[in-house]
Amino acid sequence: MSTIISKLNKAFESRIRLGIMSVLMVNESIDFISLKELLDLTDGNLASHIKALENFDFIEIKKQFIGKKPNTTYTITETGRKSFQEHLDALANLIG
Amino acid sequence: MGNQHEDLKAIRDMMEKSTKFLSLSGLSGVSAGITAFVGAGFGYYYMSKKTLENTPYETSDLIILSLVTLGVLFISFALAVFFSRRKAHKKNQRLLNKATTYALYNMAVPFLVGGILCTLMLIRGNYEFIASITLIFYGLALVNASKYTYEEVHYLGLTEIFIGILAAVFISKGLLFWTIGFGVCHILYGLFLYKKYDK
Repeated sequence: MSTIISKLNKAFESRIRLGIMSVLMVNESIDFISLKELLDLTDGNLASHIKALENFDFIEIKKQFIGKKPNTTYTITETGRKSFQEHLDALANLIG
Repeated sequence: MGNQHEDLKAIRDMMEKSTKFLSLSGLSGVSAGITAFVGAGFGYYYMSKKTLENTPYETSDLIILSLVTLGVLFISFALAVFFSRRKAHKKNQRLLNKATTYALYNMAVPFLVGGILCTLMLIRGNYEFIASITLIFYGLALVNASKYTYEEVHYLGLTEIFIGILAAVFISKGLLFWTIGFGVCHILYGLFLYKKYDK
């Protein structure tokens, strides 16, 4: 039992981070506003969780300009995909 | 322990929500069905009057009937946007997002090809397969778009294709099958979607 629990990644303990990772698992990339709307969060709240996931090297941030408007998009990294998949497997295993 | 269940459910919901156009309202289907009924009623009335008076069909008749069809299409689309936007607002979301764009694009390809084909056939004076072809291409458009929205849309698409084939087999009953496909099916599927997802 303890081995399974240890596989649950602490980085994904928050429901918000689970949400961000879920969206990025199935979307090639997503912009800040769409993500904010999907998760129903405030700017600050989302930004802090994004920062945390970025520090874990689970997501990548890409800044570019569409015309004159700055546009920030997020993608999942290989590490992020692998870690989240392991977390999903651990969750599924726990439920049995 | 219940936490893991909730986590998995939240993950599944978020994956679905971010890839599918889930603001589609069942009322869109119902209103499209009613609009189709009105349009078909007008078409039926117009054509039976022509038959009773025993006057031959002219280009102007064709234009009137085509305009009615376009009107039905336009009103249905406008109502679909209206009801879906209302549903999106209720859920605190924008109507237009990535999933909506994908769904629309995948719907538009077969839809526009069918539309062009029908227009060419009308210009050439081939009317008998119009009901069948509009139903079949609309069905293909729904099947194609359904991976980006509720799975029921897939079955509505298959139903429309099937009715379209029937319309080609029983070629003199085109308007009847058109009314069943665009009227009855839309209302039934729309009510089902409304009960299942809009509450």
